[in-house]
Amino acid sequence: MVGWIDLARGAVTLNILLLGVLIYVWGRNYYTLRSKHTLGLLLFAGLLLGENAFALYFYSLDPLLTAWFSSSVPDPAWQAMIVLHGFETVALVVLAWITWD
Amino acid sequence: MEAVLWYVLTSTRGGANRIRILRALDNRPRNANKLAEELELDYKTVRHHLEVLEDNDILTDSGDDYGAVYLPTDRVRNYWDTVEQIMEAAE
Repeated sequence: MVGWIDLARGAVTLNILLLGVLIYVWGRNYYTLRSKHTLGLLLFAGLLLGENAFALYFYSLDPLLTAWFSSSVPDPAWQAMIVLHGFETVALVVLAWITWD
Repeated sequence: MEAVLWYVLTSTRGGANRIRILRALDNRPRNANKLAEELELDYKTVRHHLEVLEDNDILTDSGDDYGAVYLPTDRVRNYWDTVEQIMEAAE
């Protein structure tokens, strides 16, 4: 059965993939165009990538937190977290969509 | 308009080619076919870029279907400083 934690991990993984796409496009453009605008976006994506990498680490790898997250977090708290991760995923899909153009 | 220029020309996957297109059309308005030849780009790619640039009010066309000639809008002319700044960075 897919638990709430799996949904949260899935959303975070998707965020990381989308940020990978954005960092690829912005990184390549920054390399050729050196625009401050693109550098700013690159930093923004890098920080969000850090946020999501930490989330995935806390949910899946950190020995103490993983044990706690997989057994002691009540469902309503997970649902609230998934709302946050989900909004971020949708926001990143929109950004990736206009950037890949 | 400035934010649009920065985004469309420097922060999208097709940005570098859009800068080349805008530069070519600034020198001389031309149609999609001539532009594709000149820049050695695929015709469909050029059409796509032209569409994006028109959507963002950066280019306008003469309206003659396939022979339509493209040129920068008056609006983008007012922000030509920004365009030049972007073009310089792209060199």
